[in-house]
Amino acid sequence: MSTRLYLSLRYALVVVCGLVLAFPLLFMVSGSLKSAREISAFPQPLLPETPVWQNFVDAWDYLTPQVIGNTFVFSLGIVGLQLLISLPAAFALAKIPFRWSAVILATLVVPMFVPANLTLIPLFVVTFQLGWLNSFAGLIIPMAAQCAFAILLFRQFFVTLPPGLIDAARIDGAGWLRVLVSIALPLARPALATFCSISFLTAWNMYIWPQVVAPNPEHRVINVALAPLAGGENSVLSPAIGLAGAVLAMIPVLIVFIALQKWYIKGVVGTGLE
Amino acid sequence: MTVTPSRPVEPPRQAEPAERSPGRKDRRGDALVAALFVSPAMLAFTVFVIVPALGGLVLAFFEWDLFGTPVFVGLDNLARLFTDPAMWQALGVTALFVVLGVIPTTLVGFVLAVVVNVNMPGIGAWRVLYFTPMIASAAVSAIIWVNLYNGRSGLVNQFLALFGVDGPNWLADPTWALPALVLMMIWGALPIVIILYLAGLQRVPEDIYAAASLDGAGRWRQLWSMTWPNVWGTTVLVAVLQAVSFVSGSFEVALIMTDGGPLGTTQSLALYSYKVAFTERDIGYGSALSLFQLALIIGVVLLSRAIVRFRKERG
Repeated sequence: MSTRLYLSLRYALVVVCGLVLAFPLLFMVSGSLKSAREISAFPQPLLPETPVWQNFVDAWDYLTPQVIGNTFVFSLGIVGLQLLISLPAAFALAKIPFRWSAVILATLVVPMFVPANLTLIPLFVVTFQLGWLNSFAGLIIPMAAQCAFAILLFRQFFVTLPPGLIDAARIDGAGWLRVLVSIALPLARPALATFCSISFLTAWNMYIWPQVVAPNPEHRVINVALAPLAGGENSVLSPAIGLAGAVLAMIPVLIVFIALQKWYIKGVVGTGLE
Repeated sequence: MTVTPSRPVEPPRQAEPAERSPGRKDRRGDALVAALFVSPAMLAFTVFVIVPALGGLVLAFFEWDLFGTPVFVGLDNLARLFTDPAMWQALGVTALFVVLGVIPTTLVGFVLAVVVNVNMPGIGAWRVLYFTPMIASAAVSAIIWVNLYNGRSGLVNQFLALFGVDGPNWLADPTWALPALVLMMIWGALPIVIILYLAGLQRVPEDIYAAASLDGAGRWRQLWSMTWPNVWGTTVLVAVLQAVSFVSGSFEVALIMTDGGPLGTTQSLALYSYKVAFTERDIGYGSALSLFQLALIIGVVLLSRAIVRFRKERG
């Protein structure tokens, strides 16, 4: 087989496999623009005859701006709070010599291997005892506290900073907080990009925790609002409106993913290899 | 969006004389600062990770409906596990999710990683297509696949009809609901597997292929006799990660799409323990079910490590 023929076949293979994998998402986009009749017709047309943009208006009305706002508060709250508590901890564990660092590191690693669903019940009980059901505190704080990944990720990065850089600043009289904020953080942007993309995507896509802790309308997040639409034929809304809602739910994560893809993937590979 | 990996840093200059230079006295100051830096994270970690982890162990020995006073019942909840038919069914369902899910995900993920591991113009954009299923949440995937699996107008059955096959009403069929959920989860899991294999493939030395082409080995044979053994480490990692994610992922997906039905055929252990705890409000037995799962997972991980060690010793 000539190299050129091989390369064009290879290219075709890449494209075909990619389209097959992406098909459900392409269907989501096409289906979100179908009329109620088209989406449940047999045979169902692959593309809508005329795009029904009204589906997106209806999906927006169903989801409500409040749910979308809640989801942003929830996701950004988790990302922000995790940064706030993990960065100083990671920095101290990497750069400030003190007695307990080895013990703390060991404690952080162990629960990372326990899948989240196994501690769901006791975590719910703790949150319930704190009186945090149906509140943003209950939604955000227990999830932000799952910070072992963040601490280990940032620590791994801070460890690689040359000691001379920090010693120089210390001798110049800079306090530890200042070293962290004005020397370590600006250098940590790759680690920050990795963490923020992974943490935001995970938080935005969460379903079980918000469903259990805050199912009431005032604190409902987008996946909790969307899940009942997967009831299929039982739903009163046209399935096309459900698909439009799914498209809306994916837009923020898609933007973050495409913008930070390189760092997101680095993080995924990094966690996998640990 | 651009993020520059590094940029020159000016050391902050500040007039504060030598009394703060590193020395004996400063060490105590360091310890204090370290404690301040670490304590918010450790407080959160203690309350919401360590306490629940230990609490889960304790709750399994109590009977509690969340509102009354917990009653100590000793080993009753753990004994009940083994006489509960729903538990045995859920255990079987969990095993099916793992067996049907992990092997195809690993093999297909490997082949797809090899397919996209090529340098050609525009490959970056095409790879995005491979990765996007990863960012669809369980609820989003559920909405998409409920439509695809629809017995009448679903595209899956229309596709099968091209070959004269009359597809079932997937999610309402006790035989086909679980395989349908597994297929959907494989779709969602492939991107991560592809990413891990792509990383693994970077470490396979190029020159082994040169020797193979001289020997006249075909590309398909090279794939399985040269590439596959060289990414064995990645395969073990992928299999373990996928086993865990099929155990816990099947819970979310089944809760949204089938509620464990029809007839409990998609109710995994995780979903069963969720329902016992949150629908029947039997916190103790729900915790016992979680504990049982943890024991199973530890068993599987130890077993896989033993297998790896066994292979290393032999080869």
